[in-house]
Amino acid sequence: MRVSDVMKWVLLAWLSVVIVAAFFYVQPAEGFIGESSRIVFFHVPMAWIAVLAFLVSCITSVMYLRRRKPIDDIRASVSAGLGLLFAVLATTTGAVFARIMWNAYWNWDPRQTSITILLLIYAAYLALRGAIDDPERRASLSAVYAILAFVTVPFLVFVVPRIYWSLHPDTIINTRGSNEFDSRYTQVLMASLVGFTGLYIWLYTIGCRIEAVRQRRRQEVL
Amino acid sequence: MTDLMGIMVVTLMIWVGLFAYVYRLDRKVSRLED
Repeated sequence: MRVSDVMKWVLLAWLSVVIVAAFFYVQPAEGFIGESSRIVFFHVPMAWIAVLAFLVSCITSVMYLRRRKPIDDIRASVSAGLGLLFAVLATTTGAVFARIMWNAYWNWDPRQTSITILLLIYAAYLALRGAIDDPERRASLSAVYAILAFVTVPFLVFVVPRIYWSLHPDTIINTRGSNEFDSRYTQVLMASLVGFTGLYIWLYTIGCRIEAVRQRRRQEVL
Repeated sequence: MTDLMGIMVVTLMIWVGLFAYVYRLDRKVSRLED
């Protein structure tokens, strides 16, 4: 059995343990309604993966503009797609949490507003890719767009929600610059972040391989 | 079964289902690459 195959089974076991720990290793946090605080173990890693994926998309776009290799364009598009998927999942889990805590799925809270803008920016990236037929032109334009799109990410994810008053609970490293999470919460959250990062790497690799096969087939037909 | 246990089981089922789907996809791509 190859190392990559072993890692897949480790990932299955790892995230399964994280799920069990998220429900039974930690106690519900004070100040939250019912068991709602447990959503942090899924919501935060999804948001983290979205930011990571957008960063990878930006880096590979820069690489494309420097080297002009089609594989970099594939990497950028796959990562942007995954980032969008995880951003949607983070938004959904956040909305479920908002429904429990504040009795409404959507409050136009600064965080909800900024994530909506971010989703629209990256949805436009995919729309741009779909609108251009010429592969080289598509790759160049979308690489420039992905770099510009990523410039907005730190502002929309880290700055804007901290400037305005928000219903959103403190982040892991809060505005006072400290981590005030319970130690068990920190352990499970870190394990979840590692597991989700592994899942992202796996999905990203598969996505790139699928797109490479698709492009190879297309060239064979031509 | 408590509500918490039920939600955990559903979450686990979603994760194992997703894993199985991605694993199958991975194998399929490997075959296409050969």
